Amino acid sequence: MAKSSIRRRLMVSVLATQVILAVTVVLLANYLMHRQLRDSFDAGMQNRVVSLAAAVRYTEDSSPVLKFFPESLPPPLHHLFPDFYRITDQHGQLLGASPNWRDDLISVPTLPPDHHYWQLTLHNRLFRGICLTNLPVIDAPEPGMRSTTTLTVVYVAPMNELRQHEVHVAVMTLAGSVVLLILATLTVFWAIRKGLSPLAELAEGAKGVSAANWHLAPPAAAAHTEELVPLVTAMETMLATLHRAFTSQREFLANAAHELKTPVAVLKSTMQSTRQRPRTPAEYETAMDGALEDIARLEKLIHSMLRLARAEQAAMDGTKSSYHSVDLRNSCEQAMERIKPLADANGITMELAAASQEEASVLADPEDLDLIWSNLLENAIRYSDRGAHVLVSVAGEGDTIVVAVRDWGTGIPAADLPYIFDRFRRADTSRTRSTGGYGLGLAIAKAMAESYHGSIAARSATGAGTILFVRLPKNNNGHSPSVPGDIEV
Amino acid sequence: MRVLVIEDELRLAENVARSLRESAGYAVDCAHDGQEGLHMAQSSEYDLVILDLMLPGLDGITVLRSLRAGGFITPVLVLTARDEKESAVELLNAGADDYVTKPFDLGEFIARSKALIRRGKGKATAMLKVRGLEINTADHTVHRGKKIIVLTPMEYRVLEYLAHRKGELVSKTELLEHLYDFNWERFSNVIEVYVAGLRRKLDDREPSLIQTARGQGYMLRD
Repeated sequence: MAKSSIRRRLMVSVLATQVILAVTVVLLANYLMHRQLRDSFDAGMQNRVVSLAAAVRYTEDSSPVLKFFPESLPPPLHHLFPDFYRITDQHGQLLGASPNWRDDLISVPTLPPDHHYWQLTLHNRLFRGICLTNLPVIDAPEPGMRSTTTLTVVYVAPMNELRQHEVHVAVMTLAGSVVLLILATLTVFWAIRKGLSPLAELAEGAKGVSAANWHLAPPAAAAHTEELVPLVTAMETMLATLHRAFTSQREFLANAAHELKTPVAVLKSTMQSTRQRPRTPAEYETAMDGALEDIARLEKLIHSMLRLARAEQAAMDGTKSSYHSVDLRNSCEQAMERIKPLADANGITMELAAASQEEASVLADPEDLDLIWSNLLENAIRYSDRGAHVLVSVAGEGDTIVVAVRDWGTGIPAADLPYIFDRFRRADTSRTRSTGGYGLGLAIAKAMAESYHGSIAARSATGAGTILFVRLPKNNNGHSPSVPGDIEV
Repeated sequence: MRVLVIEDELRLAENVARSLRESAGYAVDCAHDGQEGLHMAQSSEYDLVILDLMLPGLDGITVLRSLRAGGFITPVLVLTARDEKESAVELLNAGADDYVTKPFDLGEFIARSKALIRRGKGKATAMLKVRGLEINTADHTVHRGKKIIVLTPMEYRVLEYLAHRKGELVSKTELLEHLYDFNWERFSNVIEVYVAGLRRKLDDREPSLIQTARGQGYMLRD
């Protein structure tokens, strides 16, 4: 099947309209011209009849009689030549006829009243005849007297000149229309081409877009064409969205590869340096333990990355399979219970502050919530000094519940604060072995909170500690969660 | 030769140090953050610095720039996890002599370390020659003509260091600094023992190859 083409369709419709218009104009013009020519032809015939009647006069004798004087007749108009005529009086008495008149060839048909014209064929040529009766004799037999005789004139003239005129007019109008049609076609073709050129330019501009160049450079013509503006805008929006997704994926891949390199480097160096020479069983054992530890780190990193990918997917889809009404106080308490060994090992004490009478349940998957709290707690513990305190508070705020995890640790420098929820970003751009972690915890917490239309925010001051806030929409007995709030930092 | 490894991944630092000690016979010190590394590099004599880029405290590139700004000329080999071209250019422009990207091959790493030390001493090949004596710094063997001279690792290190500094007076302290890690004070009396052993094994006759400047140090004479 041929591709449909806007240009072709426009061309066809414009040309069809033009052809219809041209045909109408030609037909109308020819009809009007035909009427005009016929009328003037008939007028010429009538004049001739009147002249013929005027050529019937009384003789100058003592007893005047009516007589036709052909010599007093002016010559006929050339287009009426050769004509035939016959003049009789009311009694049918022949007064005069043209020399070529033949009664056997020309007979006057019975005409309906008020109709004087008819057509006939003589010697295979078309003629037009007129028959006028009761024409008065203009001349008087004697001065002061009126003639009582009336005349009947039959006049026949060839129509070939008239026909020629009509054909000529038809040919002229038709030729004019065809020339105009051709000119119009060319103009329309050029105009459509010109009119659609912004579309072609836009397509040319769109060709330049690739994974390496995400900028759509719409030609000025396209950007200023009313019909194309929505298309250009839609394309730009789509490109921006795709670019963000693509960049984010690429960054994630680069960061993940980068983060995986260090543990792999450690593992590889352990193996290679151990193999340099024969070792004692104890040395092999140490090397194996180290290798296992590195593998555990790799596993944890891979697990975190997958968890993040899933959480981000869920945030994008907005679909969650197993929702329960979860009391945030219990949820936080359980998470604190689970992370207690790490807190103890770092000499950190934890406390939960929550107004117990208040409604504090959200609709969520308990495992997801647990992951958020444990990531926040782990973060707080790692950035706290030995012997410090971590405070968790749960409080309602309008339609939302805010969980705040506060530590009195090193704090986050103001310059780093906007980036702490980015994947693989750590408070310290230079890595801290002792605090460990892979900079994915807060990113996971953020993606999780957002998948519940919640938000996460941080407030921090260097040396004074950090507070991380997670805001989740309250479980309003089946009401849909409110729109996600902006992340305020 | 004495090498400083500035690397915060403890096990990676250990592995690198062990390899440098075992297969190159170098004395190795380790620093685990940028500040400590910068301080150690500035306060001791090193023949090579291995520098990781991602460090707590001060990051690697800052350490490198601070060292070079202070007129530090010792070769620096950088360990990096990034392998983009721009970061390599930035590294080399900041004063790095070479870099390896993680995860790297230890064999190649050792070879690059040796090459950097050699270049740092103004030598282009692994072979040092002193008055008919051929010292191969790649496999640590010493020949005179076709004859192999068997040395203990420490004797070899003394000879290699003196050979690198051929024609120059090397103090006992300098020798100790370059042959031992930062506990070198404990070994202050062993140098004489190694030199004596070397002289015997090299069958050193007048004019003596290893000359002693009493109270000042040693010099290797062509």
